[in-house]
Amino acid sequence: MDLNLNRADYLQVGVTSQKTMKLLPASRYRATQKVVVGDHDGVVMCFGMKKGEAVTVFKTLPGQKIARLELGGVLNTPQEKIFIAAGSEIRGFTKRGKQFLSFETNLTESIKAMHISGSDLFLSASYIYNHYCDCKDQHYYLSGDKINDVICLPVERVLHDVPVLACQDRVLRVLQGSDVMYEIEVPGPPTVLALHNGNGGDSGEDLLFGTSDGKLGLIQITTSKPIHKWEIRNEKKRGGILCIDSFDIVGDGVKDLLVGRDDGMVEVYSFDNANEPVLRFDQALSESVTSIQGGCVGKDGYDEIVVSTYSGWVTGLTTEPIHKESGPGEELKINQEMQNKISSLRSELEHLQYKVLQEREKYQQSSQSSKAKSAVPSFSVNDKFTLNKDDASYSLILEVQTAIDNVLIQSDVPIDLLDVDKNSAVVSFSSCDSESNDNFLLATYRCQANTTRLELKIRSIEGQYGTLQAYVTPRIQPKTCQVRQYLIKPLSLHQRTHFIDHDRPMNTLTLTGQFSFAELHSWVVFCLPEVPEKPPAGECVTFYFQNTFLDTQLESTYRKGEGVFKSDNISTISILKDVLSKEATKRKINLNISYEINEVSVKHTLKLIHPKLEYQLLLAKKVQLIDALKELQVHEGNTNFLIPEYRCILEEADHLQEEYKKQPAHLERLYGMITDLFIDKFKFKGTNVKTKVPLLLEILDSYDQNALIAFFDAA
Amino acid sequence: MLLPVFTLKLRHKISPRMVALGRYDGTHPCLAAATQAGKVFIHNPHTRSQHFSASRVFQSPLESDVSLLNINQAVSCLTAGVLNPELGYDALLVGTQTNLLAYDVYNNSDLFYREATDGANAIVLGTLGDISSPLAIIGGNCALQGFDREGNDLFWTVTGDNVHSLALCDFDGDGKKELLVGSEDFDIRVFKEDEIVAEMTETEIITSLCPMYGSRFGYALSNGTVGVYDKTARYWRIKSKNHAMSIHAFDLNSDGVCELITGWSNGKVDARSDRTGEVIFKDNFSSAVAGVVEGDYRMDGHIQLICCSVDGEIRGYLPGTAEMRGNLMDASVEQDLIRELSQKKQNLLLELRNYEDNAKAELSSPLNEADGHGGIIPANTKLHTALSVNLGSEAQAAHAELCISTSNDTIIRAVLIFAEGIFLGESHVVHPSIHNLSSSIRIPITPPKDVPVDLHLKTFVGYRSSTQFHVFELTRQLPRFSMYALTSPDSGSEPLSYVNFIIAERAQRVFMWLNQNFLLPEDTNIQNVPFQVCFTSLRNGGQLCIKIKLSGEITINTDDIDLAGDIIQSMASFFAIEDLQVEADFPVYFEELRKVLVKVDEYHSVHQKLSADMADNSNLIRSLLVRAEDARLMRDMKTMKNRYMELYDLNKDLLNGYKIRCSNHTELLGSLKAVNQAIQRAGRLRVGKPKNQVITACRDAIRSNNINTLFRIMRVGTASS
Repeated sequence: MDLNLNRADYLQVGVTSQKTMKLLPASRYRATQKVVVGDHDGVVMCFGMKKGEAVTVFKTLPGQKIARLELGGVLNTPQEKIFIAAGSEIRGFTKRGKQFLSFETNLTESIKAMHISGSDLFLSASYIYNHYCDCKDQHYYLSGDKINDVICLPVERVLHDVPVLACQDRVLRVLQGSDVMYEIEVPGPPTVLALHNGNGGDSGEDLLFGTSDGKLGLIQITTSKPIHKWEIRNEKKRGGILCIDSFDIVGDGVKDLLVGRDDGMVEVYSFDNANEPVLRFDQALSESVTSIQGGCVGKDGYDEIVVSTYSGWVTGLTTEPIHKESGPGEELKINQEMQNKISSLRSELEHLQYKVLQEREKYQQSSQSSKAKSAVPSFSVNDKFTLNKDDASYSLILEVQTAIDNVLIQSDVPIDLLDVDKNSAVVSFSSCDSESNDNFLLATYRCQANTTRLELKIRSIEGQYGTLQAYVTPRIQPKTCQVRQYLIKPLSLHQRTHFIDHDRPMNTLTLTGQFSFAELHSWVVFCLPEVPEKPPAGECVTFYFQNTFLDTQLESTYRKGEGVFKSDNISTISILKDVLSKEATKRKINLNISYEINEVSVKHTLKLIHPKLEYQLLLAKKVQLIDALKELQVHEGNTNFLIPEYRCILEEADHLQEEYKKQPAHLERLYGMITDLFIDKFKFKGTNVKTKVPLLLEILDSYDQNALIAFFDAA
Repeated sequence: MLLPVFTLKLRHKISPRMVALGRYDGTHPCLAAATQAGKVFIHNPHTRSQHFSASRVFQSPLESDVSLLNINQAVSCLTAGVLNPELGYDALLVGTQTNLLAYDVYNNSDLFYREATDGANAIVLGTLGDISSPLAIIGGNCALQGFDREGNDLFWTVTGDNVHSLALCDFDGDGKKELLVGSEDFDIRVFKEDEIVAEMTETEIITSLCPMYGSRFGYALSNGTVGVYDKTARYWRIKSKNHAMSIHAFDLNSDGVCELITGWSNGKVDARSDRTGEVIFKDNFSSAVAGVVEGDYRMDGHIQLICCSVDGEIRGYLPGTAEMRGNLMDASVEQDLIRELSQKKQNLLLELRNYEDNAKAELSSPLNEADGHGGIIPANTKLHTALSVNLGSEAQAAHAELCISTSNDTIIRAVLIFAEGIFLGESHVVHPSIHNLSSSIRIPITPPKDVPVDLHLKTFVGYRSSTQFHVFELTRQLPRFSMYALTSPDSGSEPLSYVNFIIAERAQRVFMWLNQNFLLPEDTNIQNVPFQVCFTSLRNGGQLCIKIKLSGEITINTDDIDLAGDIIQSMASFFAIEDLQVEADFPVYFEELRKVLVKVDEYHSVHQKLSADMADNSNLIRSLLVRAEDARLMRDMKTMKNRYMELYDLNKDLLNGYKIRCSNHTELLGSLKAVNQAIQRAGRLRVGKPKNQVITACRDAIRSNNINTLFRIMRVGTASS
């Protein structure tokens, strides 16, 4: 059966955060439900749809930005009490909009995530987790990295509280009271948690998670250990997951999985006989999907997926067909409704326009006076700057509540901007003036009308660090722009991991000196991505990293007065040495740097590079042959006369070309890294081999692994 | 929603822009397209049994209903249509860099095969002006040539640069077709037979042109712009980061007016309203679109729009029916409208809230640093811009300079200039480092061509610590001759070359023209006739003197013939002069041209000699081959080996000869281009009728190989003395 869903926009509120829209429980099966949504203006709005018109049930006054919105109530009764988290306060409303709770938690940070179960309240701010029961403090936990989401297994089924925290360092932490019961490593930074089937599945222990790099998985949290059930990798390179819900939209009696992503994708997965998820439906909206829920809003009797988006649209994807089989009169009526809606909007607009014109005039007058001040409208920019493991590049996503006019990208480090198929903006690279203006890249993106989301891809070089700035100008009056800064760190291609291979030959860099733990931690934060800014608890800490491009690793262990960095890649050690000594000099701290170089590690790294290099060389060679072979094919009519190798190339031609297109300049990057390795190896020996680099490139041009290793040994 | 009525997947690649549909047997429409390896394929789904067995055409080994035509050279343009109305069926025309072939597919014979020395980059078939028989017009290296059914050269003229696109369109509404020519110098020229009636300057190479209806036509540029002109006025244009591969006019929504259908390099096809450019339909291919044509491919009496991708995928669309009411896309229009209105409402609310905030801010304390962080600046902040000429220094070449400054202590964080044709891309950014921020910025500008340019400035104004900036948007025009600095008349020797003409205008008007087109210092005052102004070019230091006598006689001294032409054309449009005869002399340039003409003769003779050599060698090859084979049959292996060795050597010689021929040919093309350009330049020194007379007379002089007459025409404008 094909799933056909039609889009219907209901209403627009202010900018929304993740998980801030819910449907109130229905009075009976498939009756229309009310929608509650909280936005950045602090307004909670509850509305229902009547004849295609949104009818407000209640609307609160503006206040602090609403970070989360959840439903609760006495266990085993309809969950229809509305709870919101704004700042450090929790407020509760009845379904009619009467406020019955205002609980100031006195947390120093504002609340980021919330889960409610009966009278238990599970909250988390950036690093702090707190459990309250009847607003009384019960348990507390300080996490090593940012907490993105919190959830608790259904207490009515597992019979005790099992809170789970989704932490930025790719770990789910399962708590018991104030202590960690165990940690589960997941394939990406988890951004959202949800109970499988809405109730934790058969055992009540099944937990769904979604990651910021778009992966989805199911884990059973048993009392002793986690059991990984399935995982969906992000093959299509879609956006990160922001919300998950379970609802039977297909209508086969089994709850389907509804997923909303930050690139506007809405997906429906249903389960096959083996309980494995299968993608059944997807639709692209133009902006981040912040909340998703299955239910019935537009018309009773028709199931639908209700989503809220970043700029505050509440939209339904409904099973109700647009063009009904019934008589022509019906359609006319629908049209009439639409027309009414449009004309009312138009009149509202006219009124507003008039008001704005008046204000504009006043503003113009005020600009004559010398005392007056002029402010610009503040608009919120939703940005994400992440490293993609697959092609070792960064992606920068900018999303604004209104249409973007243009974006200026400026960087003081050499980086490459890559083309992204999805974005339609016209890019123009400007020449960078020779003066000491610290510009290595100046580019403008002029966006097409109605672009609210822009995605850029950036390739960085390890060892070159600085700042990338984006000036975002939206299409609002008066014209204004906001600048956002992103750090390109010295070891920009490294990623946090939790396990490394200890058997590799390692080079060691040891720092000793009069520095504090926090100071050294700040240097590590400066050098490496994905390290929490707050110094972790404890006296000594160890972080593991992996180079996403070469798969080499880095282990960093440090305490007050001493830091040890181990890596199988000499270049990594060399970069660290340069950056750390520069940072220490800047702060006038005396550092003793000693290093231990393992000659074997160079050979080891070259061996790690070998398969990648060989693959790329072969790919380039094959792609070169495709056109000529195709011509032969056209000329001769068949391919029987070709050797099997060539026939194979022809068969895979499309695939090969796609692969080749996906990794532009991959070979050059590998060459660059081998050259760095070569220079760094001899730098530690105290010899400058820059003059031999052309020779090295020659060897690389006619690549042979043994010849390369021999060259490294001989030079 | 509009869905394709048929989809085909051919296993042949299609070269971009080389697609044509024709009824080569008079009834069945067939698709012809250029493919790899110098071949043209003809897809004939209607008559499967027909098999060609001649030398040129053979059956495709990959598909039964495709036949291949061997051209043995890269195809550079292709079209199909009625060349000979008496035949009753269409001819296929294939152009390469050296030849034009008119081919009768049905009878499998050549209609004609002509050498085209200027190459054929673009081709169009149809009737032009008063010429009665249909012409196949090819555009190549600065030249346009039209052939009739027998291959007679009935039409020949020159244009400013290499031709990239051609179209026939009734530009002036007289019921006869004019020729539109898009060339590499960014100009669209309109030829009424061989007279240029209009010129429109665009911002990039014009890659495609297509007639819409009446005097309206569509165009596409190599930077991803497509748009529609009505006569000389541009209706609309849009720019995409992708490139338009093919454009075509087709009435897809059955409203009686053609839409502009564009096939893009990313595989998108869209139909845009001819009036507004609004997208009314779009579809996606998996690879770049190669061509868009129309025809009754299913033979059911309905014309379809046919789109082909480079991978050989072909889709046909029927125009939307009346019930669809022009609604060809799946998303409902009302929904979109509501979205748009709602977005507008949000924007207005945001603006309104900002004014409220401003009002609040006014009540609070005076401006402080913290305010600057959020982007609050004094309301009376103003931005001044000034354009001037900077003579440069040792470190920096001379340039035109744009100076932007704020009226108070606010700083300029960055300046974005959007302008077409003068920067590498469409924009130029000035972003000083955090240490060099100040309230004024000087931006050097060096336009590569003498064209007036609109500079759209976006200036980010705020304070040092601001994270949000005010964006001041304004537009300044850079005058046409901004790269010339005023110098005192006596400095430097006057250039020998000059143009001389008489116009009946007051000195004040001339001064107005000067002021509008040059960057003059503010204190330059109006002088009385006769007066003289001198300029130095910032690009190469060349001198330019403009002298006006009491009699209204104007003399322009410059060695740059292009500049002289630009000045005359600019004056002509400013003073609305329709016809202007000019006396000109450019001794240096003419001498160079004379040398080029001599060279052209040389290249021609070399070419002939080489061709003769090649013919000799091929005879030799034949005999060597026969003798070698004889030796083999006689089992005289030694002789055979020797013969094959000789053959090998000969082959090497031939290859070398080919290389020489190739380089000779490129040289020849270069020289021919220079000659064509010289004619064009001589024309540009005149306006209106005299201009056309010069071009025609020059062409005649070249045909009759009378070099002295040619130079006389260039000097005085006519052949008769």
